[in-house]
Amino acid sequence: MRLLKFLCLSIAFISLNAVAQEQEPQKSGHTNQNKFKQLYDEFSTPNMFRTGSGAPGPAYYQQQADYKMDLEINDETAVLTGYETITYTNNSPDDLTYLWVQLDQNVRTKDAPAKGITTSRVTPAQSASRFASTYMSESFDGGFNIESVTSTEGKALSHTINQTMMRVELPMAMKTGDKFSFNIKWWYQINDHVKNGGRSGYELFPDGNRNYVIAQFYPRMAVYNDVEGWQNSQFWGRDEFALPFGNFEVNITVPADHLLDGTGKLMNRKDVFSKDMMNRYEKAKKSFDEPVVISTQPEAEVREKGRSKKKNTWKLYAENVRDFGFATSRKYIWDMMAVKLGDRDVMAVSLYSKEGNPLWEQWSTKAVASTLKSYSRMTFDYPYHKAISVHARRQGMEYPMICWNYGRPDENGKYDDRTKYGMMSVIIHEVGHNFFPMIVNSDERQWTWMDEGLNTFMQYVAEQDFGEWYPGALSTGDAAYPSRRGPAKNITRYMGGNQDRIAPIMTKGLNTYQFGNNAYGKPATALNILRETVMGRELFDYSFKEYANRWMFKHPTPEDFFRTMEDASAFDLDWYWRGWFYSTDWVDIGLKEVKKYYVSSEPNQYAKNYAATNNRSLEDLNWVYLVEEDSDEFDNKLRQGTSSDNSPTLKEYMMDNFTPEERNNMEQPKYFYNMTFEKPGGLVMPIIVEFTYADGTTKTETYPAQIWRFNDNEVTKAIASIKEIVSITVDPKLETADIDTSNNSWPKEVKESDFDTFKNKVKGK
Amino acid sequence: MKSVKVILLLIIFPFFLSVAHKYYVSVTQIEYVKEKNSLQIIARIDVDDLELTLQERFDKSINLTSTDEKPSADDYIKKYLKQKFEIKINTKEVNFKFIGKDYENDQVVCYLEIKNITSINTIEISNTVLFDLFPKQKNIVKSKINSKINNLIFTKEDINQYLNFK
Repeated sequence: MRLLKFLCLSIAFISLNAVAQEQEPQKSGHTNQNKFKQLYDEFSTPNMFRTGSGAPGPAYYQQQADYKMDLEINDETAVLTGYETITYTNNSPDDLTYLWVQLDQNVRTKDAPAKGITTSRVTPAQSASRFASTYMSESFDGGFNIESVTSTEGKALSHTINQTMMRVELPMAMKTGDKFSFNIKWWYQINDHVKNGGRSGYELFPDGNRNYVIAQFYPRMAVYNDVEGWQNSQFWGRDEFALPFGNFEVNITVPADHLLDGTGKLMNRKDVFSKDMMNRYEKAKKSFDEPVVISTQPEAEVREKGRSKKKNTWKLYAENVRDFGFATSRKYIWDMMAVKLGDRDVMAVSLYSKEGNPLWEQWSTKAVASTLKSYSRMTFDYPYHKAISVHARRQGMEYPMICWNYGRPDENGKYDDRTKYGMMSVIIHEVGHNFFPMIVNSDERQWTWMDEGLNTFMQYVAEQDFGEWYPGALSTGDAAYPSRRGPAKNITRYMGGNQDRIAPIMTKGLNTYQFGNNAYGKPATALNILRETVMGRELFDYSFKEYANRWMFKHPTPEDFFRTMEDASAFDLDWYWRGWFYSTDWVDIGLKEVKKYYVSSEPNQYAKNYAATNNRSLEDLNWVYLVEEDSDEFDNKLRQGTSSDNSPTLKEYMMDNFTPEERNNMEQPKYFYNMTFEKPGGLVMPIIVEFTYADGTTKTETYPAQIWRFNDNEVTKAIASIKEIVSITVDPKLETADIDTSNNSWPKEVKESDFDTFKNKVKGK
Repeated sequence: MKSVKVILLLIIFPFFLSVAHKYYVSVTQIEYVKEKNSLQIIARIDVDDLELTLQERFDKSINLTSTDEKPSADDYIKKYLKQKFEIKINTKEVNFKFIGKDYENDQVVCYLEIKNITSINTIEISNTVLFDLFPKQKNIVKSKINSKINNLIFTKEDINQYLNFK
């Protein structure tokens, strides 16, 4: 079937602008503000460290920091004491004369400046208890107490502490390739993270036992790289961590009735596992569908009642990790399951006190395993040997191979959907962080979104997988996992909101408003839209995998990501990064008007004007005329017959230029539409248009975003159709995060407002 | 080792966790539908924060949940909103009807209506929802009245906003 393409060409008048040049005052000059301008000005010039294609360059380097630590936790006082030897390797081409060491617990010192940057106001009246806690209590003193900083010979090293950063003076400058070892002895008061907040600490249970989830517990090296020099931006509590890779050898001494797990391989399992635990552990290594309990709830309940005065030392060794975290308690139930990833087996592990049951024994380890599979498919096979999920109240935080997660049923073991889905989502999210930033090690101190945004996007993919692989995890009525972040329509309220409370994604996390939307929701949604709607899964997935593999065990910057996605796909993305990541523009694309035309044999006003102005006769021009349905020139009889029936000129042309057989096989469009699209929102996006025909069928077409390159406000498209179109909808599946869909339909839809829908629902009850 | 008292500071430093699911912003839409003489209000408030506030303010046993919720929960929400959400139209105080509420992800969506409003020349709004427990809370109100759209922000320091349509 061949459409009369020439018909469209001869009705070129639709796109002709025969308007006389108006007299406008001369506007002042401007620079290139086109939304499709390439990001040369925003990006650094590519260099030997990071290439124009977004990959590590020939001179790319990264430092290494290895740790040997001996730690002890005093369960009565909740104090951690430690002694570490740090070995730092300078792989940079620069000479270093000092080192920066991070002291994150100092955000909790008695007079931490971090407390000073939150705003507060005197309340004219308040309850007595609040008054007392505000003005009369001793505040918590949780900072590091550094007892000594010494060289391997035992000589004191000169050092200066500036809040959460400590500068250690090197006795001799470090040159390229040099290694330097030094020792630090320290202790600190572990915080009650339920009362005081924090990403680590303990929860004190009514039975007097503690659940310790310990991280940021040691003075550790800051990152030194080609982009920042020393990344020694202070820890104010919100932006997270920038850390170099290295090897950890950690010995942790805790009460003998405690269980413990953390980053790395447990090197002395026989010393700390009972015979029963060892047997169950061997079983777990071969169990791929159901977790095997290593330490049961009855066994945990026995331990809870005791307070052993003896001690045990757990020895862990981790290679090529950027941090170290561990959890310990006498309350733990411990279960494990094996996961096949590529040609290796990985262990999915959960640690939880009985307060987490029945939810935790049912789903935690399965959620861990499922997440590892999803993320491995999209990036690379999980390279470590285990991933642990630890139950901790009100926590959601990630470390290499271990994370803390909330989700606790009530005292009767009952839980609602919010608790269940909350727990599953946080486990998926935190385990996912093993990939971003633990392995694809971006600078969280500067760019929160680079790990949180990418991870929240991946979380959405993993949640959808989880819902498919474990339909038993879904509640009745949920056909798929009810992901909160990811789908385009969930971000429209944020993006369409008050501009004073919105910052671009490319903003340091400390300074943004609506942190969750800014660093998690919006970038995750932007990537999801890129994948599902703009680029398509095939191109996106290939490029995303390329990025992950280029930068695994390395330190990427935002540009490395932006460049790689384009480099691997041949899909120009500068307009997308510019709009979604560098600006706070939102999406609003609509249909301004649609005009419908039919072929006619009568010359229309346009043709008559043209002939008169150009001194031509209509017979010579011999045009095919199109008449608009709403105009005075329209006659109802034009709705009958084919286009060639209604235009002798057209009929004669067809008879002269096509054989009877060709004419028989031709399809003639009868209906012509001039669509004018408007774009009240700043973001340029593809225009997805769904045509609904009179016979009930539909067809969807997508005009790429580049359609907006000449006019940022309005574009027109002319289409011809054999079937009559009864309605046209822009973005029918709500894929573009359009904040206002009231202008998306022709004819204009009168939708019942959300308010009336709810009111009618309530009335009906 | 000296024992230290661990307390809840009023200026609680918001230790945002990696998941950072906390919001400190509520969003309320107010629309004047002239054909119905009605002012329609849809308020979205974080469920956890509202639940904590109601527990502290009224009754520790209050639970906001989509399964097996006690009917008294609605009464408490209504009572709280009547205390914290005040509107004057054309300088006269008006009362709203609490139509009901729904749960959407982590938020409670409350539907309120003020009827018999034949015209709006001026409107004064006071929105102090959640300020009593969360001093950092910000309440955003998007109003669409007489074809004009306004974005109002309420904070502990700024609890009254006024719009003039004359």
